[in-house]
Amino acid sequence: MGMLKHVLLAAALAFSVNASAQVKLTMWSHWAAEKIKRDYVEDAIKRFEAANPGVKIEAQWYEKTALYAALKTALRAGTAPDLFYAEPDQVEYMENGLLLDLSAVNWAAIEPWAKEIWSYKGKPYGMPLEAATVELYYNKKLLTDLGIKVPANLQLDAQGLTDLAKRARAKNITPMSLGVGDRPYPGAYLVHEALLKKLGLQEYDALLKGKLSWSDARVVETLRVVRSWTDAGLLPTTFTTLKLGEAHGYFHTNPGAVTMLVGSWYTSRAFNPPDKGGQPANFPLGIMKFPAMPGAACNECRTLSVGGSYVANAATKHPKQAIAFLNSFANPEAATRWLEGVLVQTGIKADYSKVSGPHAGYFRELGATSAGAKFYFGQPIQVMQGKPKEVFTQVFNNAFPAGTISVEEAVKQMNAAYGKH
Amino acid sequence: MIRSSVDRQPWGAILAFLLPAFTVYTAFTAYPVLRTFWNSFHKVLPRSEEFVGAENYAALAQDELFWRAVRNTFTWACVSPLAEVGIGLVLAMALYARVPGMRFFRIAWFTPVLMSYVVVGIIWVWIYNYDWGAANALLRALGLGALVQAWIGDPKLALPSLIFITTWMWSGFNMVVLLAALHSLPSEVVEAAELDNCGWGAKLWYVIVPLIKPTLLNLLVLSFIGKMKIFDLVWITTKGGPLWSTETVSTYVYKRAFEWTSFDLGYPSTIAAVWFVIVLSAVLTLTWLFRTRERLEY
Repeated sequence: MGMLKHVLLAAALAFSVNASAQVKLTMWSHWAAEKIKRDYVEDAIKRFEAANPGVKIEAQWYEKTALYAALKTALRAGTAPDLFYAEPDQVEYMENGLLLDLSAVNWAAIEPWAKEIWSYKGKPYGMPLEAATVELYYNKKLLTDLGIKVPANLQLDAQGLTDLAKRARAKNITPMSLGVGDRPYPGAYLVHEALLKKLGLQEYDALLKGKLSWSDARVVETLRVVRSWTDAGLLPTTFTTLKLGEAHGYFHTNPGAVTMLVGSWYTSRAFNPPDKGGQPANFPLGIMKFPAMPGAACNECRTLSVGGSYVANAATKHPKQAIAFLNSFANPEAATRWLEGVLVQTGIKADYSKVSGPHAGYFRELGATSAGAKFYFGQPIQVMQGKPKEVFTQVFNNAFPAGTISVEEAVKQMNAAYGKH
Repeated sequence: MIRSSVDRQPWGAILAFLLPAFTVYTAFTAYPVLRTFWNSFHKVLPRSEEFVGAENYAALAQDELFWRAVRNTFTWACVSPLAEVGIGLVLAMALYARVPGMRFFRIAWFTPVLMSYVVVGIIWVWIYNYDWGAANALLRALGLGALVQAWIGDPKLALPSLIFITTWMWSGFNMVVLLAALHSLPSEVVEAAELDNCGWGAKLWYVIVPLIKPTLLNLLVLSFIGKMKIFDLVWITTKGGPLWSTETVSTYVYKRAFEWTSFDLGYPSTIAAVWFVIVLSAVLTLTWLFRTRERLEY
């Protein structure tokens, strides 16, 4: 009996020591349906757990909309996970002191612009895993069939895009695959990239922040150019209901479009095997720059945005371990693994020339479109807040490119959203 | 000594039966409603709550998007009940008259109501697809290609297109309820009308409709309340777009609470509180308008 008592006591002690040594971090993340990103993060978790035997990370995967709604409730109720997915436009997290200050992370390994995007009142709050430029992908074969040659500087002019649209329509081919059925931003690419080039970095920033009127002659002129593209039949007839994933298939498989204007994360889906939604093997994918605008202040300007990132809950009981996990991404090896595995740019400093594998050539082409570029950081819906953001989404993501409202009405709606009449 | 009837009430049993329901009602209905009204006078953030008086109400009065959502919701709530109950009555009459294949039609017409709005929404997004949806395919097949439309992509057509979906979905439900009402009619009244050589139209208008009026009115009010709260279908199909043409008050409350970059629950609560009062007033007004002045006697 005495022996049994000692054995039980020893077992209980061993269990309690083990339990106290084991730290469990919970993590909620987007990318439930994006296997290669999920694989990357799960691999990072395994590496971290191997290097930190006392720490376990339990990840739960969501789709973005469901994740955001769940987090808003959980953060308010104090039941949010230790780590979670976020994007830099979610300033409300920082405004309300809900995120852990990540100053202790090795920021020397992170691109300065990515740190800047995630900084609030001088402190950084997010690990910027995913970064993306807006790219104009095209089907090399279809473009050649239309008799159009991409210039040496990889940039058509505005009239060139109109010409492309007309030639494609004449052959009953959709010039550009784009759909806004389930996202608040793809339709706006056309407008914001055109405006950024026309106005240049500072004036464009002023426009998005309500310091420049949407009635400005340059803005109106640019909107008329965009309207001339859509009037030429640039977009699919299903533009308003076509979902993002469907738009990818529309471009590379069925029915096939000449171009697709999309974030450079296109390849994280397109480079999957065809039976998992990827583009066909040997698809002749090309990349060119967004067309140059007439009388533009900065035709080399383009949007670079930070997307999927991870943050730590300010209320976590394990801040050191949470920061340590996020810090495990802050090194060139993690960046290279991201590039090779996920095939999308990252906010972590990386040497793109070191990327190997079947898609190394793609990264060289991608680099060529950004050569000499000046970047504006963030899409309009990441810069705008409240009503201007809502109106911009309704007007420029959907109604204006769909041709259901005029240039004048679009300008009026935006000015009203900023309280200008 | 005579004990009053009050003393004889079995208070223990009454409490035992009422308490569970009362607790659930208080926790999940009364408290949230009261809390919503409380929140509407505050700025409610995760770590703070600040009294702002009527500030949220003043902002709401100036909120064009809210009033657009109100217009859309009222349009839906006024048009839909009339269409659903009207079509439901016609279908019920057809079954009452024992049309050939009535068993099949009864099931076919009732089936849509068994599906959730999510499934219905997805199906109708396909049906309304511009390129390959059934609606446009049918028009093209009939040689009416000029009428092909972006049904839920055009701000002018999106709301009518969604109203059509709810009408398709709920007419069968109204049909079943009205069919039950028709079968419960006193046969001698209908037969007397037939003996008087009353035609179908006159019989419907002068005999049947007055007899089933209470059922009709209840269905109208139920449908009205349902449409005043509509959310799921809009969220699945259009998310309130394009250009807020299908924005309803429920979708707007959700957007303000969960999609705008703010944690404040005060303003969304103000919308919910105002809408609660509007819906309650509308239902009370309808009930008052539709009250049966004289009891029908068979």
